Amino acid sequence: MDILGHIYPARSSRRIDAVLRPSGGSVEVLGPLGEQLAHCLISELKIDPPLGRAPRRVTLPDGTLFETENHAAIEALSGPTAGGALHRFEAFHPRLVLVLVGIVAGILFLWRYGLDLMAGAAVALTPPPVISLIDDGVLTSVDLAIATPSTLGENDRRRVEAIFQRLIDDLPPGERGSFDFHLVYRKLEGLGPNAVALPNGTIIVTDEIVRLMFDDTEALERTIGHPVSGEDMLAGVLGHEIGHVVEKHGLRQLYRSVSFAVLVALLFGDTGPVVEDVVLEGSVVLSLQYSRRHEASADAFGVGLVERAGYDAQGLIDFFDYVGRNFGDDASFLSTHPAPSDRIEEIRRLMDQPSASR
Amino acid sequence: MAETAGSGRSEGDRSVPFEFKGDTYEWLGIWAVNLFLTIITFGIYSAWAKVRMRKYFYQNTYVAGRNFDYHATGLQILIGRIIVIVGFIIYNILAANPVTGIFAVIALLVILPWLLVRALRFNARKSSWSNVRFDFDGGYWRALAVWVIYPTLTFFTAYLAWPFADRAQRRFSVGKHRLGAAKFDFDARIGPFYKAFFATVAWLVLWLVIFALFMAAPFYDFVSAIEQNREPDPASALMVIVAIYGFIFLAVIPAGAIYRAFIRNILFNGAVLDGKHRFVSDMKPMTFAWILLSNAVLIIISMGLMLPWARIREARYSAAHTRLYPGGSLDEFVGDLETRTTAMGDAFTDLDGFDVGLPL
Repeated sequence: MDILGHIYPARSSRRIDAVLRPSGGSVEVLGPLGEQLAHCLISELKIDPPLGRAPRRVTLPDGTLFETENHAAIEALSGPTAGGALHRFEAFHPRLVLVLVGIVAGILFLWRYGLDLMAGAAVALTPPPVISLIDDGVLTSVDLAIATPSTLGENDRRRVEAIFQRLIDDLPPGERGSFDFHLVYRKLEGLGPNAVALPNGTIIVTDEIVRLMFDDTEALERTIGHPVSGEDMLAGVLGHEIGHVVEKHGLRQLYRSVSFAVLVALLFGDTGPVVEDVVLEGSVVLSLQYSRRHEASADAFGVGLVERAGYDAQGLIDFFDYVGRNFGDDASFLSTHPAPSDRIEEIRRLMDQPSASR
Repeated sequence: MAETAGSGRSEGDRSVPFEFKGDTYEWLGIWAVNLFLTIITFGIYSAWAKVRMRKYFYQNTYVAGRNFDYHATGLQILIGRIIVIVGFIIYNILAANPVTGIFAVIALLVILPWLLVRALRFNARKSSWSNVRFDFDGGYWRALAVWVIYPTLTFFTAYLAWPFADRAQRRFSVGKHRLGAAKFDFDARIGPFYKAFFATVAWLVLWLVIFALFMAAPFYDFVSAIEQNREPDPASALMVIVAIYGFIFLAVIPAGAIYRAFIRNILFNGAVLDGKHRFVSDMKPMTFAWILLSNAVLIIISMGLMLPWARIREARYSAAHTRLYPGGSLDEFVGDLETRTTAMGDAFTDLDGFDVGLPL
């Protein structure tokens, strides 16, 4: 049975009408006048897998390329191949609805679990010197952009260090050793009373939070309406930040967003930049729920740690109470942190549980 | 440009059209399976998906009854992508630190022309038409000049000299291509580049003025609310979000399309193959802008389901407005022996959104 088509000699654009004639275990290529142009065994043919209705391409050992629209004849020649299965799967068929459902389910699964798995693997693969490089980098950037040197007195610093050391001493030895825990003090005007944890264990403490808890206790008590302990409050905040470090939240969020950007580029890269950007921007809003989850998790870690170290977890409650009254108690879906009132409720629930169950 | 093409189709016209024979439903199936396999393999299959996509669009594009083809393998693309992703992560870690960051940025600028040349070469050697492979033999220093140095210099002219930088880039990227042993040449006057530039800028300015007139009040309310640390009025916040997306769709997408259409016309009209074969592209910038804008809207509304349709529509329009004027037989191109190349540069352009494929 002759297969009608055309050939191009090896590395040439010369197009010659031709037929491919299989006979027994071999094939020959015949030109327009019936002359033999090439021949070989069927097993020597390189048959490209099918793709849509594009012409089938068959390459002979001497480099001659034979092209034909006759898909059925080539299939009869090649027999069932792996490429053929994929080709049939791609055909326009009601089954495609299932494929589309599979795509949606797959995207939801990747979003919910896949990215965390990839981020977790990347965190495990990151060598410690790199993490310490990140700490140095962020701190240098903060110093260049927004921070001014701390004006805290030696006395205040010593009190903070004492609390911090007590908390660190109560960490399991394995976790204590895998990070380089240390405090740095900065004046950060825009940030208010706050502390920031970096992945390798550097914790930036603002002058404002130390002053609030050690010097402005009266203002605090006036706002909240009952006596407070500055030591317990600061312990609660530091415990929370240590929780971020130990549970590697910063690195996880970094890798999550990198993984997501790479996945979007791989999935939608051929759609042009606009669709890609819309997807990436939407993801920023959706990512905030992971940030809120990390905050809640660090709260729980911090409560456990301060109680083990002999502080009162009420301190963290008082701090959130103050934050809620002073800076608003909102938690829209656009927030990176849960609402202070929700956090207080959750801490109370944790405190009521016997320690053993935690 | 359009005038030349119009008069070129008179009697005795020996031009041959580009034809795109792809089909929406057929591509929908291939696209959906590509996406599905990419997702369940955590992105790994995307390398093979890219090859399948390229092959589909190349094999369905015909000139004078002969189609294009793409010959890279999924494994080549995958290895290139792994190297580039690791490099991307290292770059980001170094860039986060202001001290090492400066070196990281300089290193990227030095390596960028090398990557782009590699990408163009890989892509050319893996693409063929009528059984003859393309090739690209641009060198590093010229690439450094046109992609790093000239664009940097245009900054000092408030980007008004951008068309000169763009022309230098096209001269390099088109002019260093070959089809087998036959060289491409490209040259064009600067006028059309400025026409493309000012048409694009004018479109953006027009929409900036319209948005400034109608959206100034809600924007002012929104910004002052943020500055005074109070909740912005929900109505004005909504208006601001709508305005930003409206601007992207009405101003940015069509502006990009207008520029692409002008430049594509210049590219084809100024290109000569083997000193005798000429090309004509007569895309209408406003029509192309409408196609890309309506595509984007339909893709968003359909949650991506219309993507295959949009891709096919764009490919059909591009092919329908492109013609070849053969200056002799098309049977005489001869290819080189295939040389080894790696997909590293190509992976870089994939992830960073550079378009190095053939402008089909």
